[in-house]
Amino acid sequence: MKKTILTLFVLFAVFFPAAAQLPDGGVKGTVVDRADRSPVANARVEIFRDGNSGGLYDCDVEGKFLLAGYDDGDWSLLVMAPGYLPVQINITIAGAVRDLFTIGLTPIKAAEAKRDDSEQMEFDLADTGYSDAPTVLFANDVYSSIAGYSFGSVRFKNRGYNSETQDVLLSGVSLNDALTGYSPWSLWSGLNEITRSKASTLSMEASDFALGGYNGVTNIFANPSSVRSGLRVSALTNSAMYRLRLMLTYASGKKDNGWSYAFSASGRFGDNDWVKGVFYRSLAYYAGVEKSFGDEHTLSLFTFANPGIRGTQNASTQEVYDLMGDNMYNANWGYQDGKRRNSRMRKTFEPVTVLKYEYTPSDRFTSRTTLLWRTGLNGYTALDWYDGQDPRPDYYRNLPSYAYMEEEDMDRSNPDKADWMRYAWTASSAEFEKYRHVDWDHLYDVNAASPGGRSKYIQQERHVDQNDINLAESIRWRASDLFTLTGGVRLRWNRSENYNQVCDLLGGKYFLNIDSFAERDFAVSEAKVQNDLDYWIAHGEAEKIKSGGKYGYDYLAQVRRASLWANGRFHVGGFDASVGVSAGYDAFWREGLLRKGLFAGTDDWGRDIIIDGVNLTTRDSKGRVVSSKGKSEVSRFFTYSAKAMAAYTLVGGHRIWADVGFFNDAPTFSEAFISPRTRNSLMDGITTKKTFSTDINYQLSHNGYNARLSLYYTRIWDQSDVMSFYDDSQHSFTNFAMTGISQRHMGLELGVSVPLPVQGLSISGVLSLGEHIYNSTPHMVQTIDNSAEIIRDEDVTWWDRTPIFKIAGYAQDGSPIYDQDIQGNFIITGYKKHYVGGSPQIAAELALNYNIKYWFIEVNGQCFARTFLEMNPLYRTDYACKGGDQNPGIIEEMTAQEEFAPAFILNASVGKSWFVKGNQLGFSLSLNNMTNNRNVRTGGYEQTRLIASSGKDRYYRFPSKYFYMPGFNYMLNLYFRF
Amino acid sequence: MKKFVYSLALALCAVLSSCDIEPLYIETDRNWKHTEPRTLQPTHTIQELAQMYKTGKPFVVNTDLIIGGRVISTDQPGNFYKSFYIQDETAGIEIKVGRNALYNDYKQGQWVYVNCRDLYVGMYGYKAGNYGGSGMVQIGFSDPTGEYETSYIEAPLLIDTRIVRGLQDEVPEPIVLSRQFPSSSDSQATSSLLGKLVTIRDMYYTRENFALLYLDSTKDKKLYTNRVFLSDTNGASGDDKTHGITTWAMSKSKMTEYLCAGLWDSCQIGSGSTFTGQTLADFRGDGTYPGVEKAAYSISQYFKAGTQEIQVRTSGFCKFADYEIPADVLSGQRALDMTGVLTMYQGSLQLVVNSQDDWRYSDTGEKIYR
Repeated sequence: MKKTILTLFVLFAVFFPAAAQLPDGGVKGTVVDRADRSPVANARVEIFRDGNSGGLYDCDVEGKFLLAGYDDGDWSLLVMAPGYLPVQINITIAGAVRDLFTIGLTPIKAAEAKRDDSEQMEFDLADTGYSDAPTVLFANDVYSSIAGYSFGSVRFKNRGYNSETQDVLLSGVSLNDALTGYSPWSLWSGLNEITRSKASTLSMEASDFALGGYNGVTNIFANPSSVRSGLRVSALTNSAMYRLRLMLTYASGKKDNGWSYAFSASGRFGDNDWVKGVFYRSLAYYAGVEKSFGDEHTLSLFTFANPGIRGTQNASTQEVYDLMGDNMYNANWGYQDGKRRNSRMRKTFEPVTVLKYEYTPSDRFTSRTTLLWRTGLNGYTALDWYDGQDPRPDYYRNLPSYAYMEEEDMDRSNPDKADWMRYAWTASSAEFEKYRHVDWDHLYDVNAASPGGRSKYIQQERHVDQNDINLAESIRWRASDLFTLTGGVRLRWNRSENYNQVCDLLGGKYFLNIDSFAERDFAVSEAKVQNDLDYWIAHGEAEKIKSGGKYGYDYLAQVRRASLWANGRFHVGGFDASVGVSAGYDAFWREGLLRKGLFAGTDDWGRDIIIDGVNLTTRDSKGRVVSSKGKSEVSRFFTYSAKAMAAYTLVGGHRIWADVGFFNDAPTFSEAFISPRTRNSLMDGITTKKTFSTDINYQLSHNGYNARLSLYYTRIWDQSDVMSFYDDSQHSFTNFAMTGISQRHMGLELGVSVPLPVQGLSISGVLSLGEHIYNSTPHMVQTIDNSAEIIRDEDVTWWDRTPIFKIAGYAQDGSPIYDQDIQGNFIITGYKKHYVGGSPQIAAELALNYNIKYWFIEVNGQCFARTFLEMNPLYRTDYACKGGDQNPGIIEEMTAQEEFAPAFILNASVGKSWFVKGNQLGFSLSLNNMTNNRNVRTGGYEQTRLIASSGKDRYYRFPSKYFYMPGFNYMLNLYFRF
Repeated sequence: MKKFVYSLALALCAVLSSCDIEPLYIETDRNWKHTEPRTLQPTHTIQELAQMYKTGKPFVVNTDLIIGGRVISTDQPGNFYKSFYIQDETAGIEIKVGRNALYNDYKQGQWVYVNCRDLYVGMYGYKAGNYGGSGMVQIGFSDPTGEYETSYIEAPLLIDTRIVRGLQDEVPEPIVLSRQFPSSSDSQATSSLLGKLVTIRDMYYTRENFALLYLDSTKDKKLYTNRVFLSDTNGASGDDKTHGITTWAMSKSKMTEYLCAGLWDSCQIGSGSTFTGQTLADFRGDGTYPGVEKAAYSISQYFKAGTQEIQVRTSGFCKFADYEIPADVLSGQRALDMTGVLTMYQGSLQLVVNSQDDWRYSDTGEKIYR
């Protein structure tokens, strides 16, 4: 019927010039999907002037529209389609039908119509122990649209992959962190309106902007014309992160003269109901301008940043949570002058500036060139101290368990002392707050009484200040209706300065620049303990660092990266296929700016440095000079990857496809250097990470029924990792470098959305069922941080499994007696697998949705199970399993991996929006965790320390630390669009 | 609909305005609550407290028994560890706090009052028999293991409520000793010198020292198979019982240097009269002595003031551990005046200095380290 009307309209316009009484002006064009340029059927176009509608029209099945008979002048065109973000365009009609050619709509997730995505909260997880990131919202994929949004509360990782496997691009430039690979969401937090427009691909699907890996590609457009036009104001309050977010955005849309511009500013403020000490004082801004020169050339320039400060949360042991009666306890803060002060704050100001040129000589060819520069400051504060008691309230020596534990063999047998410790934690009196939180007054007292004003305690600020310059060029050439070629070049130059800075002297006058860890071993050598030996030699004393001064360490991480990629896509009838390849070169090195006394290296002439008869030049086990200053060896890696996809679409909305890919990626800077804060030493045996991945998928999209079923298999090997921890047995801080880590991820994903007989009512559900495990025996080398001396060089025997020993019977005290073979070996009957931790291996949601007349209501229940704690490798070494040859129960105990209890979460949301004369206003309210379940562990880690038994014949584990999900919380968002 | 929108806007405003935003302290405000010094009236002298102790019977104090005195030790250079000494007119006593960097809170010369309620009084270093003697009365907490008579106090609440910081004062003048020393059966209960800051004049080195090493830090250090006594003639040659050690103690690097020089190759593994039959030479390996713990070790250097032997006990973790004892002192040609806390261990007198400045030449009065 609608098509008929449109046809009649066209016929009328063409064959009945009598209608010349009507004006000749008009507009026409084709509505396409911004991601793949395919026509969008069922789009609607409404034309406005001065807030009055001039008509509402349906496009045809090819997305085409023609509006004729309009007066000359300025008009607005609102283009809408189910599953897409609406776009408003300002046009000028001047006596003819103007051809707009194509209007690209950005896909939104299926649920977009009912939920405003500016609700999304920001995550910056580097300081919380998490390494994942918010999942991207996907278009028209029922599984990803639900799993990606709803499972964020438990830090769900797509297919169990780490966040660095997800390629995140801004205007075609990969912004995954150059040093760690982490996805960079925090760079634009608070700019939700600007980054709303994005194109995402799943799994191994190539995008127009990058070949990508095996965990999808997300390209955020962010150029001014991609920002939804008009003025938008929103206010949001929530109880789980910050009190208030205000956001103001204006975008001109693409004007008739080819100009577009957009601005946005936002602020996030306040604390929350659940985690004390966590707060936001963050601003964000964006400004951009874009000019189209004809239909072929478009140049855009924009810049943004989110300067701000926010307080962070730490993880604690269950003992601490139980003492406080609160699983959301945060040990980072304490009272000062009656106010809460957080010792750990993230301070950022990292402006990103982008210059982008897009060349579109025809609708078959597009070239995009982007130059991006990221710079600024990224600091993270923490308490630091020299020769003082550990000021952290939850330091293990402040806990009752340090004095008493039921296990006698742990040699903690003083219940009376434990009672005193427990009383300090649990007494209700306010005077005991100083035992439960950071005692700032005491830190100031110590500094005030310190001779000469030398601060013993300070608040430090660890910086990773990046200078990141990227150049990316990508092309898309639709050679024919059968074949489309995409490809590009990416170049990256990154220089990141890593240093420590005195943030607050806490009442003192200076902090002395010496290495307190070195002093433990080399207290008698003044030269050895210097953080800046050159300064000490020049001045005869260690430098007295004032507020804002650098101390401790200062080095540059230098990264260079270049890559080429190409992807060809074939389309014949219902058959789709693509093949893509990439090749690249990665190089990185460390450049020390300070000469530490511990690793002085050689002088400018290559001679050993000898001071007072002490040779400060150290060499490693291979005779190489270990140096803190100057340029390290350059690590170079050749990388490549290849992927292929084949799909077949059947009549009726059925689609079947399969992906396969192999990836050979370089390790990151942070995975390669053993102790970059102290020296140039690289891990031996480091190589590229290899990944093989494949999946097979079925998707249905028909008459409101949506479903997707995927089976996937991924194997990752030759990974490396490095960590540092205090080894009690060595009385030293040590580095633990591990190579040869392998993982295997396999499982299924199912998403279903089914309309119910009642209009607007539907039911949807997702299921993620995976098995993400470690499947190798890595090798580790442990070195003393103060000397680079190797103290252990062995396999991490029990990294991938826990043995189950055969039990012959039980002793009178109930302890098991393990069975032995005739050679006297204990009999292993099987193994328990070790899982990639931090994300549930089973996640499911069932939701009931009611969506009508711009109202939406949703109630959903979620289940999460098989979530495992991230493992530390120390517990899985033969060394930590000492005594296991006599009592295999020790091996079972030390190597076991902790599994979290399953969790059920009930959520609801409601919202409504109104369109009034082209303006939109609305609200959304989310009620999360309505059963107020405060026992859901979302992550944590094992402490890398051991407790020796009283007879030193075995070790026990230190208690692990955990994060919990907040209880009942809400989010209310009110927004206006003009 | 308009009414609804207005209502919604009002509701949002109400929510926002009702937000109880906690005051946050994020900038460099300098206000903090200073802890003022307090003065308590002692109910007992240190000697009276020590006299309440009976050998082998540590006891808990169940009353508000208060002692007071000035701090005479410091753990800043590292020769005292997790405890400090106070002294009054009658004696000195060690407070086993169990925290490091105590000098930040308890400075030399500062008055400190200890309300001993809930704390334990016991002795460390008592040994029965002909070769034994008294030890030192200490204040600490209970030790249910029975290994020691007291343990560290450690609990922050107990420390704060029982060990009261008073006014800062001058460090007491050390008592000068030359010939009058406590006997092996004395403790603070009977001697007003023990636990106090003293200066002992004319101390000559006896060319003897003592150190206890361990082979494997990850194994039980009480096992004789894990012990090496650098003691008396074990590893010594002739009258020289110094084991080649010329420093007051040995840091980790110094110990490694001594070990790898082969100075102790003839030392037998074992303790007392029980030996394994092995010597350290059996662990030489490639010259790095794999399997032998390289760590900082305390040393007792034996001196004599007149006929009185005094062990100068120095920690391997202190900043002056590797300071060389002057050659003319090692050879016995020159004597030293030493200032430190006088203690008793198994009937033997020990002196523990606070810093390297506490060693002076007897003949010139000059510090031996400048």
